[in-house]
Amino acid sequence: MVEVPKLAKDISELRYSALNHLWMHNRDWVKTGEDGGPDIVVDGNGIEVTDIEGKTWVDVNGGYSSVNSGYGRTEIANAARAQMEQMQYFPQGTTTAPLIKLAEKIASLSPGDLQRSWPVSGGSEANETALKIAKSYHKRLGDNGRYKIISRRGSYHGATGGVMWLGGGGSSRSDYEPAVPGMIYAPQPNQYRCEFNGRTDEECAIRCAEAVENLILFHGPDTVAAFIAEPVSASSLAAVPGDPYWPMVRDICDKYGILLIADEVITGFGRTGKMFALEHWEIVPDIMTVAKGITSSYLPLAATVSTSRISDVFAGEQNLFRQALTFGGHPVCAASALANIEIIESENLVNNSARTGLYLLNKLKELQENHPIVGDVRGLGLLLGLELVKNRDTKESFTPKSGMSKILNKEFRANGLILFATDKGVSLSPPLCIKRSEVDFIIDGIHKSLSTVEKELSIL
Amino acid sequence: MVLTDEGEQLRRKSLEFLWMQNRDWVSMAEEGDPLIIEGGKGLRVTDSQGNSWIDVNGGYNSVNVGYGRTEIASAAYDQMVRMPYFPQGTTTVPAIQLGKKLAEITPGDLSRSFPVSGGSEANETALKIARAYHRRRNDDKRYKVVSRKGSYHGTTGGVLWLGSNPAAPRGDFEPEYPGMLYGPQPNSYRCELGGTTPSECAYRCAKSIEELILNNDPDTVAALIAEPIATPLGSPVPGEEYWPMLRDICDRYGIVLIADEVICGFGRTGKMFASEHWGVVPDIMTVAKGIISSYLPLAATVVSERIASQFAGEENYLRHVFTSSGHPVSAAAALKNIEIIEKENLVDNAATVGEYFKNQLMGLKENHKIIGDVRGLGLLLSVELVSDRRTKIGFPKELRVAERLNQKFRENGLIFRVGSEILNIGPPLCITTSEVDEIVSVLDKSLGELSTEVDIK
Repeated sequence: MVEVPKLAKDISELRYSALNHLWMHNRDWVKTGEDGGPDIVVDGNGIEVTDIEGKTWVDVNGGYSSVNSGYGRTEIANAARAQMEQMQYFPQGTTTAPLIKLAEKIASLSPGDLQRSWPVSGGSEANETALKIAKSYHKRLGDNGRYKIISRRGSYHGATGGVMWLGGGGSSRSDYEPAVPGMIYAPQPNQYRCEFNGRTDEECAIRCAEAVENLILFHGPDTVAAFIAEPVSASSLAAVPGDPYWPMVRDICDKYGILLIADEVITGFGRTGKMFALEHWEIVPDIMTVAKGITSSYLPLAATVSTSRISDVFAGEQNLFRQALTFGGHPVCAASALANIEIIESENLVNNSARTGLYLLNKLKELQENHPIVGDVRGLGLLLGLELVKNRDTKESFTPKSGMSKILNKEFRANGLILFATDKGVSLSPPLCIKRSEVDFIIDGIHKSLSTVEKELSIL
Repeated sequence: MVLTDEGEQLRRKSLEFLWMQNRDWVSMAEEGDPLIIEGGKGLRVTDSQGNSWIDVNGGYNSVNVGYGRTEIASAAYDQMVRMPYFPQGTTTVPAIQLGKKLAEITPGDLSRSFPVSGGSEANETALKIARAYHRRRNDDKRYKVVSRKGSYHGTTGGVLWLGSNPAAPRGDFEPEYPGMLYGPQPNSYRCELGGTTPSECAYRCAKSIEELILNNDPDTVAALIAEPIATPLGSPVPGEEYWPMLRDICDRYGIVLIADEVICGFGRTGKMFASEHWGVVPDIMTVAKGIISSYLPLAATVVSERIASQFAGEENYLRHVFTSSGHPVSAAAALKNIEIIEKENLVDNAATVGEYFKNQLMGLKENHKIIGDVRGLGLLLSVELVSDRRTKIGFPKELRVAERLNQKFRENGLIFRVGSEILNIGPPLCITTSEVDEIVSVLDKSLGELSTEVDIK
């Protein structure tokens, strides 16, 4: 067992090791060290985690929008141990019982005729697999010119070499140029900042969907392989598209023979108050990717789920889809996923996400009335976003120079919240087992934090 | 054979709901596949029908400590009960301990780990670090990546274009990533550049990489990536000159040298890391598979401080995130796995039993003309079959040599996948000499039968 040090001297030695030997996300080791970091978490229960100094935090981020069933679920650990003691691993080609059961379970939960799962270890791999399936699907049909992929500005689909070029709009890509050929970008149906000046949700949705069609016509429909999108984009602070959007996108894809890939990595497994978010619009994609909530991050697992119409073209020895990943279909991860899904179902966490999500959304809207910097409050289920603005009339965003997000992040910390703000705003995605009293605690912390920001930046 | 109802039901469901690697569900159904593996111990696994198998492939060259190590399950359980997960902006005790351990056991000044969940992610991370490194130094033109024909570095959108393997054509996924350059593989049995000894082949292949760089403008090349010993075409061990020359060439032209130790690392070749055989320290090293013996998904990109220091300071950080990076449960399992490798001296065992294994295979070669070459290092070994030793020509497709062998190995209780006329061996490192004898005797029998069937005397 990995011992947790208790003495201050040992803790500081551990922290020193982290600063010297770990390359962490989205921060550097010099600044982290100067700030007394990194934080080291050692324990968790429900929506709370405890750090090595014994301080307890409320995890409003839910890991990376991923710990759907919450922390401290011993049942998942028991399932993982039982499987690992019996059969630790075997490559796909042969297979293992928990993986078969998981694939059957995914097929039974997924909308429509989505039924065949290619299991992998993370959302990036799942989306890479989806793109590869889409590109080779067309080639199997002799439709060789299709290679372009449409994604949407403000979306995010992963960090590996193919999918990192999807979506975007941030600053991180120039480090890694050149981009993969054939990337095309459509608008994000975010009514608060509609690129086409749609004044209502419906109008913005219709114009953004029409823009997808225009883009396809401009590029030549027979050069486009797939359209990929999150049902509700977390990286666009949970902008929920107006109702016409998804049915129109489905029709457009059908009209031009383009595969529709739904990235449910964040939205899947109850996050938005349905098991999968596209159910809100009763849309069945051709390929759906899932990760995060499928194991609540207790172990790395993800999957690319295809309809038979797609997977059938790869049947037969000559038509094989050529891809292998060492850890694809890991039996211990599959056993954990099954235990996790059982918790989601038996505790009705999807319903709780819908109900408590609505409660949280309404509380956030109340906050908006008292806080001028809250420009927009939106989201679905327990995937919610606050867009923060300098001025509500002009909707002008904060710049890094304003220091807004720095103050806000500091205040969230001071109020015991693990919640990350950028200068654009804040997205909330706590574990789905969250209670109303916990929502009230979070709202109180956000209220205090926003007040401090407004005071320090003299925004009234 | 009578199947239990549950096993047969599961098998049918797997054909309906699973998309498996390198197999399709129609041909699997015809052959009564897939096997459903239910238990394992050491080198052996058991299927749902109660058959026991020897796993000559060691998973995917990845189950270094062997099957049935309950200590790893306990370590994973203890961690999961306590702290199952947290994103890597904050961190956890086992992630830190693993970062420290990797710094201790990797060669030279490799000291900082970006933990990820698999070899593909590790190599993608290495490429991203290499490109961003040059940009942090305003060396903005560098983006090309040199890899070698006959190498393999993963399956995601960037790394799938590295290396090449005739058995895995890439046409399905075109267009290719811009900036890919391909050097020769230093395989002295079939040296592309006509080298007749390992040294001569190594020298020519390294020189050829230098020419490739010169012909493509050295200022535009970001990185060179290579496995110390590449497995797709059968573990050719490069001549002694090769790796020191690659290191020099990279230094001369300011190119980041990435060693892909995904398969070679953690004892596979008889050293903890295969780069140690030639005393070469890469700028970036990627590890996966053996780091955790595949008990859970984990990998890492280990970087020298010279490279990493370009990313220090708030404005310079690397923008790159994976949900499961630094997973505490996988990290705890990896620590226990490395402890077993060290405590049981599995690296030494890989060297000594590997040498015994190779000698036995050399012995087979004397009796079987069909064996053209035996090569490898430690427990990463290969046997290449030919129809004629002099011309080194393989077999016509219609003889279905790989299929025949697969069937024979299966009939004789070996899990030993053969995709071509090259047999790749990568068993768990805890293998004993008597287990080697068992495998070699099946090989002896199978190759004898095959020789008769395809008329090689």
